[in-house]
This record gives sequence, C-alpha cells and structure tokens, in this order.
Amino acid sequence: MMVFLQQLLNGLANGMGYVLIAVGLTLVFGVLRVVNFAHGEFFMLGAYVTYYGMTLAGMDYISALLMATVMVAGLGILANRFFFQPLKKEHEFTILLSSLGLALLLSHLAETIFGADPKYVDTPFSDATLSLGEITVTQQRIGVIVVASAMIAATYWFIKHTRMGKMMQATAQNPEGAALTGINTRFVHAYTFALACALAALSGALVGPTAMLYPTVGDWAVLKGFIVVVMGGLGSVTGALLGGLILGVAESLGGGYISLGFKEAIGYAIIIVVLLLRPNGLFNPPASRK
Amino acid sequence: METTSMKTHRRTWMSLATGLLAASLSFGAFAQAKPPVKIAAINPLSGAGAFDGQLALEGMQAMAAIINANGGVLGGRMIELVTYDDKGNPEEGVSAAKRAMEQDKVDLIVGGWFSAVALGQKEVTRDKIIHIVTSAQHPKVTDEGHKYLFRLNATSTMMSDRYSKFVCDNIKPKSVAFITINDDYGRLEVENYTRLLGACKIEVKGNEFYNRNDADFTTALTKLRSLNADAIYVSAINTSQGATIYRQLRQSGHRGTIIASAGNMNPKLVELSGPALEGVYSISLFAPDSQRPMARKWMDQYAKMFKNEPSFIGSLGAQAVEVLAQAVDKAGDPRAYDKIAAALKGPKLNTLLGDATFDDKGQAQQSIYLIQVKNKKIVASGG
Repeated sequence: MMVFLQQLLNGLANGMGYVLIAVGLTLVFGVLRVVNFAHGEFFMLGAYVTYYGMTLAGMDYISALLMATVMVAGLGILANRFFFQPLKKEHEFTILLSSLGLALLLSHLAETIFGADPKYVDTPFSDATLSLGEITVTQQRIGVIVVASAMIAATYWFIKHTRMGKMMQATAQNPEGAALTGINTRFVHAYTFALACALAALSGALVGPTAMLYPTVGDWAVLKGFIVVVMGGLGSVTGALLGGLILGVAESLGGGYISLGFKEAIGYAIIIVVLLLRPNGLFNPPASRK
Repeated sequence: METTSMKTHRRTWMSLATGLLAASLSFGAFAQAKPPVKIAAINPLSGAGAFDGQLALEGMQAMAAIINANGGVLGGRMIELVTYDDKGNPEEGVSAAKRAMEQDKVDLIVGGWFSAVALGQKEVTRDKIIHIVTSAQHPKVTDEGHKYLFRLNATSTMMSDRYSKFVCDNIKPKSVAFITINDDYGRLEVENYTRLLGACKIEVKGNEFYNRNDADFTTALTKLRSLNADAIYVSAINTSQGATIYRQLRQSGHRGTIIASAGNMNPKLVELSGPALEGVYSISLFAPDSQRPMARKWMDQYAKMFKNEPSFIGSLGAQAVEVLAQAVDKAGDPRAYDKIAAALKGPKLNTLLGDATFDDKGQAQQSIYLIQVKNKKIVASGG
C-alpha cells in the first residue's frame, strides 16, 4: 500500500512538471496556431539561466528562478517577433518544421556555449526530504506540485477573467473576427508567446534541479509536452492539467507495477491511441471545434 | 619596341623569378611533412554519454600531443585524430566506423566506449582494420572478436570476480538489490553478481532496469527501496545518469550501503553526486595518485590542455593512442595490420596504466585497483 502511495506521489510530482511544460505549448497552438517544437528549448534555457544565475551571479535560488522566467519570456518575445511572425502566412507544416530548426539551433548553441558536461542545479530544496511514514518526497518536488498548481490556477483565471485573457480566447476562436473587432492580434500573439515561454522557463527552473542538466534536455521536455497536449486537446488549459497528471501517474504506476520499459512506451502508446480515437483530445466531444 | 638592354633585363628578371620559384618549390617539398597517421576517434559526443565521450577524447588528444611533440611515429609522421560522434548508440557507432573506413580512409580505429556500441561496431571492422575497444566491458567483445580487435578495459567478468570477493569479505552486506542499465552490459552485471554474491550467502533481493535515455529514476528507485535491501549496487554507465541515480537514491531515503559498479567512477561524477557518493567503493584500472612517469606526464599535459580533471575513461583513451603508436612503430607501417596485431600481442607494453599484455583474443591483462570516494576525492583503497 505504501509503495502504491509512493508511486502515486512520484507520478503526481512528475505530472505537474509535465503540465507546466504543456500549458505554454497548448496556449501557443490555441492562440497562434503554431506547433512550437522549440518549446522544450525554453525549458532548457530556463534551467540553465537559473543555474548560471546561482553559480556566476551568486543569486539565491528563488531570485535566479524569477530572473530566468523573465529573461526567457523576453527571449520568447524576440523569437516570436523575428521567427514566427514573419512566417505567419506560411502553411502550418512549414512553421512546424521551422520550429524544429529553431530547436536544433538553440540546443546546439547551448552545447557550444554551456558545454556538454552535465550540470547540477543545487537548490536548498533538492536533497532535503519530507517523510510521512514510509513515504518520502524531496522538498523540490513538493515545490513543483505547489508552484505548478498555483501557476495553472493563475493562468486559468487570467484567461477567463482578464481583458487580455479574453482577447486571447477571441483570437484563438476566430483570428479574423477578433481582428475585426479591433483586437491587436499581433500584440496578443506576442503576449501569449511570452507567457508560454515564461511557463516553460519556470518549469525548467523547478524541474531541472530534480535531475542533471544537459543541453539536449529540451528534447525530452517537448516530447512530454506534446503527449500531454495531444491528450488534453490543442488549446485547452484544463485539458493540459488533466492530461499531464494522467501521464505522470500512468508512467509511475505502469513503470512500478508492469515494467520500466513500459514507462517509456506508455507516452507514445497514448499518443497513438488518442490520435486514432479522439484526435481532439480526451476531454472534448469528438466533433467539437475549440 | 624592345631594346637589347630591355631584353637582357627581362631575361635577368625571368631567370631570377624562375630561380626563386624553383627554390620555393624545392623548399616546399623539403618542408612538406610526411603524411599523418590517421586514427579514428569514435566517441559518444552527444546524448546522455556526451560528457564521458568528451573526457575520453580529451584523454586521447593529450596523449597524441605528447607523442607528436616527441616526433610522432615512424620517424616524423604525426598522429592525427579524426573525431566521430557515435551518439552512444550502436547504429550511429556502426555508421561512423563505416564512414571512417570507406570515406575518410583512416588507418586505425579507436571506438566502442559502451558495450552495446562495441558489439555492433566490431562486426563492421571485422578483419578489415585494427580496432581498439577501450572501456566497453562485455566479454563478448573479445570472445567474439576478430584478429584485429583489441580491448583495453577488464571485462565485467574479470572485474566482478575481483569486486565480489571484496564485497563478500569486506563490505559484507546481508542483502543486495541492483539497479542496472537495460542493455547487454547491464544484464550481464546482474547475472554475474547474482551468482558471485549469492555464492557467499548474500541475499539478492531483486533488480530494476533503467533505459538509456531516462532522466528520472524515482519510479525504479521506489520499487527498489520497497525490497529493503541492505546494500544497493548501482550500475551506471555514464556520468549524468549516474549522478542522478546516486542523488535520487539518497533522496528516496536509502540509508544503507551503496556499491558503485566497476569502471564507472570519475571526478565529475563525484562532484555532481555531492554527498551521495561519500564512502562509496568502485574498481578502476586508473589510480589518480599513480607515480608512473608516463601517467604523470599525461596528467600534466591534460591539465595544460583541458579544464576537466583526468579520469579513468580519459586514461583508457590515452592508452589506446599510446599502444597504437608503439605497435605502429614496431610494424613499420600503419596499414601493416598483421604486423601491428603481432606487435600488440607480443611482449608486454609499457603504458601509462602500467604493464599491459594482450592475449590471443586481444583482451588486455592489466592491474585492477579498488578505489573509494573519500572527502570528494577518488583514492586507491587497500583491500
């Protein structure tokens, strides 16, 4: 029973990390109609900026994390302005391939600048553990769960209740219609992209310290993000939340009770099954348009 | 119209120009270096093993620099390392070896740092080119090798024989559980140690496999912890996964002994694992406090060229370059493969790691040391 609870907790912690990665990805698709393969690289950069903030500038973890979030959001604005916006008129597939190119560029630049050697982001929370009976979890992972939950709730509230959030919804539902009502869609795009990158960077800064950091970690992150987005439906924040948790827990329990090879395979199996049966995501009725 | 004096001047200039041209050509021919001896260095330079591949390449480059500074091989031929990235997987390793042989026409190959890669790669080089496998430990590399195939590291069987004695006699845990990589090397480790440790009455409680590209091990470690073993044997083949496993193992609440697998310890792993590796044992062919002249020379050269600390895996790369240079010198030609093979299998070679002899199958017989991490340093341990 204890092992089950421990695996469940592991799954929830991992899952919340995936959710944080996926929310930005799904927003960018919903509002900009862009499938951004380079999303994982913003996760990676968030982690690296946190690392260098702590080691080179001597900042404490929280300040470095905040700085990373802001810096990478700024980088996102630049990426949108100079990369995705000029390509706006192109076919979605062209944009997808270009984002793949951007991903490769960023990860190889990172390898050249930061080096291929693995780095460890040493936060005060990473080794400290909390035990409840037989169940142990590091404070860092609790941080992931807590902060991710807060950020998801905040993002959801933002989209539903603020003016900008409603503009984002409008742009996602009908870009031409939104422009016709006077919404500055270019500004909405830039804002959304910045938000998405900020979330990716935050997840990098939170999840990065749970394992080693290396330049190609973005590949792993974007793949998890995509699995979750496919499950939750492109453009849906609540879908991303549920999808991420399901993936995390399925991996943990599947890996714990069936086999570890299964843990790796389960994400890919999920994509195939969902795309075959419910291509709009698990939580949308099959024929709806979001 | 040209006057006679102008003609004379022109001729003078012409002959001067021709003379200078001829002189510069012959000077060029004189200064034209002898062709380099090309050694392919096929390492994991990306993916999870990238850092280990970098350490390995640095080790090779430092040794090549020493040899070239002393005049190279065969009376003035410089050693040139041609680098390839095997990405840590067998398909890329095989493809890199093919490119090296067919397109870049290298003379010799050093490659196969991970067992899975080595096993595939040796089939491509079979009887075609001298191939030195460095760190891969799986016995089949040499058991099913070929006449030009050589391997420097001790096999996992050789290491496990020595290591298990130590675990049985000195560490003496009541029970043990394994976490190993899911490939040929990892599976053989489990087989060997289950047998050897079982023989001295240590209860083997179970094993968990992890995959080559895993970044998070909490699921596997949770399963392992539930087995409640006294000691956990960690078989991690690369630095970044290893550091994560050791850290997460401690984070999962394990307070017992940790035994690190043979041949996988390096200073960066110690640095990244933090307190998790303190007191942990392992086995290595490289003793960092060695006083051997060539070892010290190599470490000095390494320190001049690179920021990292010299490591076991780097020393194997260096040894590969070293024995190739010695054998090529004896054979007289970098393509005289039969002669090179004979030179390697002949009388013992004096290398930075000590004396090395290769047996009939190309397996090196060298000294193995027990090492321990003490105060964040790797030291040779008595026992």
